[in-house]
Amino acid sequence: MFFLIRRLAVLVGTLVIASFVVFLIPYLTPGDPVRKILRGRVSDLNVDPVTLENLRRSYGLDRPLLTQFWDWLVKALRGDLGLSYTRRSPVTEMIGSALGVTTVLAITSLLIALVAALLFGSLAAVKRGRPTDTAITSITQGFVAIPEYWLAPVLILVFALQLGALPSAGWRGPESLVLPCLTLALRPMSYFTQVTRASMIDVLESPHITAARARGLTFGATMIRHGLRNALLPVITLFSVWLAGLLGGSVVVEVIFSIPGMGRLLYESVINNDIPTIQAGVISLVGLAVLITTLTDMGYTLINPTVRAAHVSA
Amino acid sequence: MAELLTVENLAVHTGPRPAEKIVDGVSLTMGESEVLALVGESGSGKSLTAMSLVRLLPRPLTAGADVLTLDDVDLLRATDRSMDQIRGGRIGMLFQQPKHMLDPTSTVGAQVAEPLRRFRGMNRAAARQATIELLRDVGVPEPERRARSYAHQLSGGLAQRVMIAAALAGQPRLLIADEPTTALDVTVEAQILRLLAAKKAELGMSILFISHDLGVVSSIADRIAVMYAGRIVEQGPAGEVLTAPQHPYTRALIECSLLRPGPSGELCSIPGHADSALRITSGCRFRPRCTATHDAHIEHQCAAAEPALATQSHATRCWIGMPTQVKEPA
Repeated sequence: MFFLIRRLAVLVGTLVIASFVVFLIPYLTPGDPVRKILRGRVSDLNVDPVTLENLRRSYGLDRPLLTQFWDWLVKALRGDLGLSYTRRSPVTEMIGSALGVTTVLAITSLLIALVAALLFGSLAAVKRGRPTDTAITSITQGFVAIPEYWLAPVLILVFALQLGALPSAGWRGPESLVLPCLTLALRPMSYFTQVTRASMIDVLESPHITAARARGLTFGATMIRHGLRNALLPVITLFSVWLAGLLGGSVVVEVIFSIPGMGRLLYESVINNDIPTIQAGVISLVGLAVLITTLTDMGYTLINPTVRAAHVSA
Repeated sequence: MAELLTVENLAVHTGPRPAEKIVDGVSLTMGESEVLALVGESGSGKSLTAMSLVRLLPRPLTAGADVLTLDDVDLLRATDRSMDQIRGGRIGMLFQQPKHMLDPTSTVGAQVAEPLRRFRGMNRAAARQATIELLRDVGVPEPERRARSYAHQLSGGLAQRVMIAAALAGQPRLLIADEPTTALDVTVEAQILRLLAAKKAELGMSILFISHDLGVVSSIADRIAVMYAGRIVEQGPAGEVLTAPQHPYTRALIECSLLRPGPSGELCSIPGHADSALRITSGCRFRPRCTATHDAHIEHQCAAAEPALATQSHATRCWIGMPTQVKEPA
């Protein structure tokens, strides 16, 4: 219980600090914020000083910094993250829909990666030092070096243009998930495989595996009942790091496949100097990352009771 | 007496043959409801001998033998699949460090239940009930609660009781106990030894009891086989081996187990090291450490060859203990 409260305090603290930094973005970048707003709206930047001052007052930019921050924070807590400078629509809605798309993309990709990695990693560990292991290890090492901006066009070329089996771009239905998810899954799959292999090798050498065999469990049953679960911990850690990363959206994949997710939204916002959207996007990603880390830590205790004991005694 | 286990000329190799033999020419027989103690210092090959019986040697070690039978089953020709039936079923196992032998991520009850479901065809509910009975039977207090515990929540003695419950779950004919009390403190050790003796009497199983401690062995063994550098050097009824040891190595082990630290505080030890003994290819492997007095004639024999272990009930691989007619004519 104490552990939970402490984690929540850390979560809230991190968010407050992060939101202040995020709030400061327009002031930390060179140039007058009012001019940045204008640049998104009009082509002619030769506005007379009086209009400029009026605009400054109407956006509340003439007040002290901390007052502005407080104002922004209170509104943000109510779910109001302001209007986009360029699209004139509520930022909360834009972020919500983009985050939904990216979440589907990220989780699907990582689940594909995880399932494949548990399979290949365990296989490599069991066949340690034999040709199967060598093949899996070297192929996944090679995969790590394949960039998304190369893989995505190749997949489009083969599956969309040549075979016509899958859509090349867009966001309509499950089939438009396939190519982007494969592109995104390849590198995490390779890392997960290598970590699964290493931790599985450790587990295979642990005495309780021998004891399970001595109780008459077959090799396969021993792997599933007593091997995988123990080998899972480091993989879960890596999974959560990747999840937090991918929820930021993959700019490359989302732009290539025209997917309306976080990556593309933030990319466009930065190009257009759309500060409210950038602020809101970054703060929601920070929040998600902290949340995922907390959930992962709690997930450990479900998998490994010795971690639970450590928390209780801490 | 019907033999339960017969081992002839067992060898363990360090890798694909030809490789160094770290267990060599081990022959054993065990009868029904008999406790055979396999005794020797660390590295003498006791555990490897046991693990090769159940085909659980760590890679890259390999084992071979002329004969290896349990009851009517030829363990040499048994398929891997039928070995899965023998382990946990006909042969149960106990180990040193019982807490490390339990999966830290699953409850001890689930682990005791595994052989019940596999070998006695119980469903989940029946296995859970039988697990609690087994735990109660081996002296685990509050078995309902303990069944839901994890290994890290148990003391070493309690963990070994759980391991005993799991080993007995498949109703084995032979229990291989590999230093089951070495990691436990002395009072718990005595409790576990009493429990094993009681279970043996109750279930009529045989126990292959592996230990480096002759004091422990003397309380439970019917027969003793002493191993040195991968070979059995002396074998016989427990009482005879302990009171009238024939091999100088056995004598040294007995002295060390009886002696308290000397006046200057040093512990008893047998001079020299067993490490290099495996490299001795001819003659007696204990020769460099042997302190027995030899006459010149026997000295010559020690270097030339090691006598085979005779089939009589108390036998040794030392020339000194040989009846005179075995010696070459002068």
